[in-house]
Amino acid sequence: MKGFWIRLVRRLAGGLIMVLAVSSFTFFLVHFMPGNPVQTKLNTLLESGTPPLQAEAQVRSMYGFVPHTPLYVQYFHYIWQILHLNLGQSISYAGVPVLHLLLKAMPWTVIMVLTGLFISFIIGIAAGVVASVNRNSRMGDGLTMLSTFLHGIPQFILALGLAYLFTTVFRVFPFGAPYNAAITPGWSAAFLASLARHAVLPIAAYAISGFGGWALAMRASVSSVLGDDYILAAELRGVTPAIRLRYIARNAILPLFTILTLSVGFMFGGSIFIETIFDYPGLGYMINSALAARDYPLMDGAFLMITLAVIIANIVADLLYTVLDPRIQRI
Amino acid sequence: MSADLSTTSEAMKSSHIVCSVRNLTVTYQTDAGDFPALHNVNLDIQQNQITAVIGESGSGKSTLALAMLNGIALPGRVTGGTISLSQHGDVLALRGKALRRLRGPVVGTVFQASQNAMNPLRRIGKQILDLGRSHGYKDPRILLREAQLLAKKMSMDPDRVLTAYPHQLSGGMRQRLGIIMALVLHPEILLLDEPTTALDLLTQSAVLQIIQSIHRERQLTTLLITHDMGVVAEVADTVVVLYAGRVMEEGRTAAVLRHPGHPYTRALIKAIPRLTGSLDQARPLEGSPPDLTMIPRQGCVFRQRCRYRMALCDNESPSLKQLEDGHLTACHWEGQSDD
Repeated sequence: MKGFWIRLVRRLAGGLIMVLAVSSFTFFLVHFMPGNPVQTKLNTLLESGTPPLQAEAQVRSMYGFVPHTPLYVQYFHYIWQILHLNLGQSISYAGVPVLHLLLKAMPWTVIMVLTGLFISFIIGIAAGVVASVNRNSRMGDGLTMLSTFLHGIPQFILALGLAYLFTTVFRVFPFGAPYNAAITPGWSAAFLASLARHAVLPIAAYAISGFGGWALAMRASVSSVLGDDYILAAELRGVTPAIRLRYIARNAILPLFTILTLSVGFMFGGSIFIETIFDYPGLGYMINSALAARDYPLMDGAFLMITLAVIIANIVADLLYTVLDPRIQRI
Repeated sequence: MSADLSTTSEAMKSSHIVCSVRNLTVTYQTDAGDFPALHNVNLDIQQNQITAVIGESGSGKSTLALAMLNGIALPGRVTGGTISLSQHGDVLALRGKALRRLRGPVVGTVFQASQNAMNPLRRIGKQILDLGRSHGYKDPRILLREAQLLAKKMSMDPDRVLTAYPHQLSGGMRQRLGIIMALVLHPEILLLDEPTTALDLLTQSAVLQIIQSIHRERQLTTLLITHDMGVVAEVADTVVVLYAGRVMEEGRTAAVLRHPGHPYTRALIKAIPRLTGSLDQARPLEGSPPDLTMIPRQGCVFRQRCRYRMALCDNESPSLKQLEDGHLTACHWEGQSDD
């Protein structure tokens, strides 16, 4: 147990350093970007007749630093602001704090991507096991081919295809918007039903485009476990097929857990294609519009959040592995 | 061949035969053609005896072990013969649940490297419980209590080893636990596939002693697969010498060791290093172990490595013939050896 805590503290310290490194990188990236958006913004404000002090204050609250102080002062100021969770203010949504925007977009992405991710993971794992156990039969071959095919289709083509098929050709699902605007948001049945109806296609698009990858990875993993001695030994000890399958699945799923945890981390980047196509106001949608509007503070904030999420996911994956695989515990 | 065999069983009528292998042929299909890993193998396993099957790698001894459990999988295929157990009929005809119920409760197996024969993600006690659940025990914990007693008998701390994961134990401990996993189901036949190969010499002798004492105590019928004539000499009552998938010699261990009839057996015995005297006295067998693709289709399979090779050996494959009661050998050579 002591080893666990030492490990955790070490990983957290490493994570903090990573976050600082990435924020510094973001800072310099914005600072050296051609056209210098900070100076441009300041100039625009000055030209529009804003008093210099007020303009400076406005730019500071937007980017976290002011252009004509020395670079290192700007840098430390910026880092200091980040440590206080102050990510500045958005440009496209004038005056709205970036953190507020991120927190508002997050639930949409979490609902859509997390659901899609787990559906694709579960279906993919099951399909991978079936494809591997029956790999000499038509069903196994079929599943492998389907997985490869779906894995190969770009996400946006799949999303557009689904949207076309189910909102235009067959009008089964509504297109665009996260819920029917005519219904007042709240905990009413009508609103939740509308929410669910609007979420089906984005979630389906995410799940279908993801499941092939999981199935192929699981198939490979199961195939390697099937060749392990203890599986044959279990069979020759007369273990029931159900228990044997559990031995196989448990051992084969191990390497996939790391990928799953990392995917949960990358979830905080949202799904740019799917959210944009379905007008789903999640993080991906927001990043896309921030890119289009050159909303640098918002972009910085979003990237910082992705960094944070991936680093945390990495730490979680690491710790989870020590729980799932007893061989790692004693390191 | 069959005439010789009937005299064998006549001679050994006194003891009961638990398992008899008849004309067993197992073929491996490869791109280069089909090759027999076992060819017309006949074998009787007597009750309460330790029968050893000895051979080099490639002799077909592991294939024989797998066949005993009807576990030959593609590219291997049983192309002929039967393996009958006195109470359960032909093993090779069993399918599905009947086959599963054979594996464990009737034939208990100890695998070559037990560290690889256990699920690395599951505590050993839990794996024993899985065995109980698989074989219809109402209360699988009975097996756990039995395992505790056995562990104590094998001088291990029962609580520690049964709550441990396989990687937390030494090779010798895992091998002993492998034996326990076979014994908790009270098999009639204990099948040991090279149980000491992965162990150092001291652990090896400890494991052999355990096998012997359990065998006696439980009045088991034991089939021991090995490549080590030293192991055979130490524990086996009867020995069967396998070469290139064929039985070369069989008989009581003492008789075979004292008067080996086959040049191959003789070479195997000479290859044992002695504790006393010069190491040079141990002589390795010339040539390389049999390779399935190189086995001659005609004549004696051992002739290329044999120092008594005659013209007859090239054309006619020798059949088993009796030297003395229950001691058979498959060799054309009849003269006295010069050494």
